[in-house]
Amino acid sequence: MNEAREQILSTIRRSLKGGEPKTMRRLDELQARLSRTTPMVQPHVDDDLLALFCLKHVAVHGTYERLPADQIEEGVRRHLRGLEVDPQFCLGGGPLLDQVAWSDEVFTYRKSADKDTRVAVSEAFAGVSETGTLVMRSSAENPPSHNFLPDDHIVVLHQQRIVRWTEDVWALLRKEDAFPSRAVNFITGPSKTGDIEQTIQYGAHGPRRLHILIIDA
Amino acid sequence: MNAPVSSQRVEFKARVRNALSDVNLQRAMAKARGGFVDKRREARDALPEFDAIRDAARDIKDHVLANLDSYLELYEQKVRENGGHVHWARDADEACQIIADICKQAGARTVTKGKSMVSEEMYLNPVLEASGIKVVETDLGEYIVQLAGETPSHIIAPAVHKTREQITELFHQHHSPLGYTDRVTQREALVNEARSVLRERFVSADVGITGANFLIAETGSNVIVTNEGNGDLTSSLPKVHIVTAGIEKVIPSLEDLSVLLRVLARSATGQEFSAYTSIYSGPRRSQDGEGPEEYHVVLLDNGRSTMLGGVYQPMLRCIRCGACLNHCPVYSAIGGHSYGWIYPGPMGSVLTPLLNGFDDSVDLPNACTLNGRCKEVCPVRIPLSDLLLEHRLEQHQRKLTSPLGRKILGAWAWLAKRPRLYQGVMALPLWVAYRLGHQSGVLRRLPGLSGWTESRDFPTPARRSFMRQWQSGHRP
Repeated sequence: MNEAREQILSTIRRSLKGGEPKTMRRLDELQARLSRTTPMVQPHVDDDLLALFCLKHVAVHGTYERLPADQIEEGVRRHLRGLEVDPQFCLGGGPLLDQVAWSDEVFTYRKSADKDTRVAVSEAFAGVSETGTLVMRSSAENPPSHNFLPDDHIVVLHQQRIVRWTEDVWALLRKEDAFPSRAVNFITGPSKTGDIEQTIQYGAHGPRRLHILIIDA
Repeated sequence: MNAPVSSQRVEFKARVRNALSDVNLQRAMAKARGGFVDKRREARDALPEFDAIRDAARDIKDHVLANLDSYLELYEQKVRENGGHVHWARDADEACQIIADICKQAGARTVTKGKSMVSEEMYLNPVLEASGIKVVETDLGEYIVQLAGETPSHIIAPAVHKTREQITELFHQHHSPLGYTDRVTQREALVNEARSVLRERFVSADVGITGANFLIAETGSNVIVTNEGNGDLTSSLPKVHIVTAGIEKVIPSLEDLSVLLRVLARSATGQEFSAYTSIYSGPRRSQDGEGPEEYHVVLLDNGRSTMLGGVYQPMLRCIRCGACLNHCPVYSAIGGHSYGWIYPGPMGSVLTPLLNGFDDSVDLPNACTLNGRCKEVCPVRIPLSDLLLEHRLEQHQRKLTSPLGRKILGAWAWLAKRPRLYQGVMALPLWVAYRLGHQSGVLRRLPGLSGWTESRDFPTPARRSFMRQWQSGHRP
């Protein structure tokens, strides 16, 4: 196995005409480039990050509602009532969700989703205005199965967590102790496929619908 | 091992002929035609910085390739720090062996797979099946193709060659034993049936195998870009996750990822961002409630390392978006299977001879009109049509082209170096062609060139050559 590794690396070096393994100084230069976090070319994004986020999210077949933090349960229940679905769901965690004192009207499960899970309620790590994208970071209370197995995914997102570009997400992620988490899932709209006659169908393997509760500052 | 799908030249021509007369294929391709092209154009027009981002994407890939050995080592070190394992494979056989061993050690009975062209390149599925493992492709297109016992015909739309009626029949045949006895014909119902069948597979698989759109040296992560979510279920649910990737997939940092993601989805499907773009960094952490206990990366060389430093190096920038396929008139007429190996279209015609051998793929670089659309749309600015010309030159030099063709070309070159003689000799066929076609403006038949005139007309040339007209003072 190591033989394969050495052979591949030496072929690369020979092809690149480096001949000898690169000097430590060269490696230092590359490491310096790695730790440089200045963004390269970025598209223009208007200052109203919230408006653009909502616009892009709706454009990819998502729905949303803006709420104050103390109305999260009402928002979840209202959305599920509209879908005629019982208010029971897998529940994730985060600064917003942890503060909700859920009433007896709802059943919450603190566990991984399974193949029969109907609904999950999660809290997003961030939102990206550029493309209307949610950023979900895996942790003990936020297993990725919540993002991919339910029919309906409801995501709580604090308005102030909406950033302009993906580069801003890297800055937020690097501040976390657990960086890099095992999974960081960028979600832009519900699951879809174009594999039958190149025509979009929603709900391929992941959620059929994606609803965001945007919590006003 | 590398070439069970033979791509000998006689067969290429036969495959093309079959493809052109295959009613189902032509119907399916006609439905797909234009869709990808229009969506990409809209996405490009909506992003004024698109070309500047393409330049940056090209520069990132060039920088990585120039330092590939170092970036691979940096990447490997980070994967290890995350608790994962990196395996190096010189060729397809070695890669399959590594993966089969990991599956064996995990006691795997079933494996789910996210879409991975590199695993197609390895011919991984038959190897795993031979060791008694059930392999389930989970990308809907790949699943359809697997049920049909075929290979993908497009690198991002594997079942683009299948009509809905064919999919209905495949599902009916394979799902009836599972209790899905109704014959479903509507798109939505077909998608739902696959969703329901594959759900069982996702939750019961022992090992999940995915590809990687990118590997990140900074974090030791693999990135997968999908719309269905199948790759994520494959990465997260089984107790072992294996990532397969070519060695050229590594990029430096997350900032580089931002740039490349801005061109990938737009070029591929015309989306600004795919539904799911995920970054996976090793096995589950101690506090995680789920996720794989083991995380393996299998890096495949298979000829890539020898492409560095030469004229074909730019091909290693490829991010597998499929834009060159979508914009290729030849691909859209003959479909992916005609190309004979797993990479079709312009990128395949450049890559196949390099990875799979020159001798068996002589026709591929010639099945091209040199219209240059592939080069124009490539998000990392690979000069695809130039590389195809390079292949033709190399074929000529290696004497892989037909002896008669080389003789004719040699005679023409001899003649062309003698301008007076050349003009004199060319005047006759010019005059004949003009006499034959000047009434209708086109020539429907050319003696000895029926292969060309069978499917298109030849425009009638002017009565006298440009040189003659110029000399006689005519200035068009």
